[in-house]
This record gives sequence, C-alpha cells and structure tokens, in this order.
Amino acid sequence: MCKGISILKARLKQELFDQYELEQRITSRGAGAQPELHFMYTDPVVQLPVIHDGQLVIYEWGNRGNKESKLPRTGWCRLESLKAGKWRWLSPEKIIIPANFGLEKSVWFQINEGMQGVVVHDEQERPHAYMLTQPASHYYQTMTRHERMPILIDQEI
Amino acid sequence: MIGHVDADCFYVSAERVRYPHLQGMPVGVLGNHGACIIAKSYEMKAAGVPTGMPIWEATPICPKGVFVKRDFRWYEALSRKMLAIVQEASPRVEFYSIDEQFFTTTEHTQEFAGRLQGEILQRVGVPVSIGIAPTKTLAKLISDSSKPFGCGVIHNDRERLALLRDRPVTDITGIARRSAKRLAEHGIHTCEDFANADRAFVRWLLTKRGEDLWWELNGTPVIPILIARPRHKFVSRGGSIGKASCDPQRVHAFVVRNVERLVEALTHYRICCDSLILTLLFTNEPERSLRSSLLGSRADFEALLEAAMYLLPRVWQPRSAYVHYMHVIADGLRPLANRQRSLFEQSQLVDIKHRINNEMGRFVLRSGATLPLVDVYGDAANEYDICDIYGKSCF
Repeated sequence: MCKGISILKARLKQELFDQYELEQRITSRGAGAQPELHFMYTDPVVQLPVIHDGQLVIYEWGNRGNKESKLPRTGWCRLESLKAGKWRWLSPEKIIIPANFGLEKSVWFQINEGMQGVVVHDEQERPHAYMLTQPASHYYQTMTRHERMPILIDQEI
Repeated sequence: MIGHVDADCFYVSAERVRYPHLQGMPVGVLGNHGACIIAKSYEMKAAGVPTGMPIWEATPICPKGVFVKRDFRWYEALSRKMLAIVQEASPRVEFYSIDEQFFTTTEHTQEFAGRLQGEILQRVGVPVSIGIAPTKTLAKLISDSSKPFGCGVIHNDRERLALLRDRPVTDITGIARRSAKRLAEHGIHTCEDFANADRAFVRWLLTKRGEDLWWELNGTPVIPILIARPRHKFVSRGGSIGKASCDPQRVHAFVVRNVERLVEALTHYRICCDSLILTLLFTNEPERSLRSSLLGSRADFEALLEAAMYLLPRVWQPRSAYVHYMHVIADGLRPLANRQRSLFEQSQLVDIKHRINNEMGRFVLRSGATLPLVDVYGDAANEYDICDIYGKSCF
C-alpha cells in the first residue's frame, strides 16, 4: 500500500502553510536536499495534499478515528471496490495526490507525477481524500513487501 | 595520451537529470527484481549502504534513503549522449561501458579535461570524472582517484608514482581478488609494488594480461583503444531468475526467455554458433555447466532451444537443487553469411519474429513457454536488461 507521502515544499503555496499549519511537516533528507513535507496516515492530524478541480488543497486523509461518521474507516480505496460500485453511495470524485515520494514498510520510493485518489464528503460536507490502490506489481511487492500498491500516474513500478 | 571519462554514480546521476529534486539526498537505484541496490548516491554510500545490498538491509541503515526503479533505456540514452560529446572531442573513442569511455587526445591539460567535463555536465546533466595519462590503465586509475567530479592528469613519472603509491593492486582493472591474493603471497600489495616488480616474474605469475598491466602502470601503452567492439569470443545471456526456484515450469521458462534474448543478440551481431552452453547456479549445490554441439552453425530459436532443452535436465542435477542464476552461452561463433547450412535445416520463423518485435516492441511475439513468467512480462519495464546494450567493449 502506501502509508505516507512526501511532497516538495516548493510545490505548495504559502497560503496553505498558514491555513493548515504545515510548517511542522517540513523536513529534509540532507544538507543539499530540497525541503519536503511528510504526510503520514499515522500523524496526529491526518491530511493529504490533493489536486481537486485543478486546485492544490489539503484534505483530511480518509477517516481514521471518527466512529460516528458513515465514511469507511480507512485511508485507502480499492480500485476493485470502486469499480464494483461499493463506493457509489458516497458519490466519489477523482482527485490526484501530488507526491514526490511514497512510503511503505520503511521504503521510500520515487513517485514521478503523483497518485490517484477519490474524495468523498462526510455528514458535515467536509471532504475526505482516499488513496486508490490496486494489487501490487511483482516489482513493487519485492521492493516494499506489500501486496497492494497505490495507482501511480503515468508510472509503472 | 589517453583520456578516461567516468560518470559519477551514473544511474543515480541519470535519475537526477530528469528528477532534479533527487539532488543532495541519499538515492538508491534498484535492480531488475526490485530487491537489490545496483547503484547508490554518495549520500547513501556515506550512510554505509554498499552496492548489491538488499533493500530490506539498506532501509534500517539509511532510513531517509529514496529508492528508484532502474530504467536502463534512459541510462542508455544518456550514455550515448555522453559518448557523442566525447566523440566530438576525439576521433578515437572506446565505448567501454555504459558509464565509461576511453579516448585518445593530444591535449593533456587540466583545462582541457575541465572543459570536457563542463560540456558533458551542461549538455547531458551528468557529472563525470576525467583522467588523462599515457596509458589506459593509468587514465582509469587517475579518474577513479579524482572522484567525484574531478579531473586528473599525469604528465610525468613523479605524478605517476604519486598515483601508484599506497593504492591497493585491486584498484587496477584486471586485477581481481584471486590475482591480488597471488601477488600478496609475493609481497606485492600496492600498485607501486606491482609496477616495481620484475616484469618476467609478473608474466610468470599472471600471464600476458598481467604483463600488459605492468607495462601500462609503468607508462608504456600496450592496451589499445577499441573504437569498434572486438569480435565476440562468445555471446551470453542470462542472469538472476529472482527468487531461487526449483519449479520446473519457471526454470524452463527462464531458459526459453534467455534463449530468445540470445537469438536476438546473435541476429543483431549477424553471427551464428556451433555450440550452446547452459550453466546453472544453485543456492544449495555447486554450479553446473554442459555444452551441446549443434547441427551446423545456427542462430535460430528452434535449434538453440532444442539444444538448451536437451541440456537442462542434464545440468539441473540433483533435481532438488534450487536454481537462482543461469547463463545460456553461444560458442564457436562465425559470421552468419559464412555459415555451413545443415542438411536438416528447415524454414525458420526467426525472421518473422524479429521483424514483428522490431516493429511492435520487444517480446511482443515470444514463446508460449515463457507464459509462467507473469512477474517478468507483467511488468512492462522488465523487458530491458543491462547486458543487452549493444556496442560496449566491456562484456
């Protein structure tokens, strides 16, 4: 699967930093490396950067802890479930999760463009982003030891 | 004088050309199966990750490391761009390996090397180290010692001796561990020891190849620049089959795949072979290898596959052994045009297959026996293998 993503700081507008308190997410992999922002499903505040209707915004990542909500209590949406119509009642819309790196089982892997996702709305009409997943390729499975992988845009791993 | 251009951590640098944000961070490029690190950045090396380490051992050592799937097509494209730039600077260039070239030059200044280095960085985006010296061996040694992104020139004996001093003999291309051990038994540990050793003794110990290196280290060029790939002594295709297996279908399918790759190479070089060798490496048994003579000189899939299938059960002994590596080797090579045709030869599908694959893509038409390799052919990028890059003089 993919339990976290990283995006280059330079890709996010300053307004988002102020609005979503993103400063604390900034990190770097080395002295000469560009700063990045990490978004993990295990974070206290579970968020994901997404491109929705052409705008780069920050949405809540799935539904991790709200038992009262009708939304699926996960951060991922299986492509097979989506195609089978199991999410139809939530009227999911397609989004892009812009990411430069993904993280699974301690392995950071390169993401060229981003990954696919869906956005659904909860009872208060708040948007929640779910990462779309598919069965992992042999390569991805060897690399991360996970049997599912995100659906990457124009990229095969 | 001879120059040597060597790209710095080439695969990683190539990835940084198209993904500049990888600059400054620890990066590892993963091999054909996604398990092993085949190239790493200096940052990842500094963290203690060696080439060949499995990813699951590397991540605890370098938790901030980023891993990239190899893309040999891209690396080859950049390699050929590098080659073209070196060819602009010199009329005699050897395409030694995907990330290295040798060239002859009348200019032997730091400025010249720096200019060439800058040209490659600007036009290809890949940092290289350059060495210029009287011989190929010295040029390679000085470029290695100038890494990363340095230039070194040897003009005189003083500079040559300074380069050789305290440098282990294994730094010399052509002196592997076994030769180094034999040399060590006679007190020869450094390049300087090697260069100062008695020439006849070196020849006795390491044959002509060793003597050639001795001359080269002492500044006399004896190893020529090869502007065309030397004629093959044999052509081999193979490699790891991923996780070791004793599944007959899977091993059989890999043999078929490698025979297809071999036929592709023979067709490319317009050569045929008199015999085929199959080598299997096992995890729990010693390696085994056998040869089969062909009926006449052949380069077609049917004949080579038949030979390989004859060899497979004979090489795979005992049957319980787990195969993890294999080579299919064409030996007794001769030009296709000069071959003696066999009386039993029938019309071949190879031309049709070659034409379709040339037009539609590699392995579009392939043997049905490779169907069990879902993991290989289900992954679109798995069709390309590093050893299938043509024209290099090394390998």
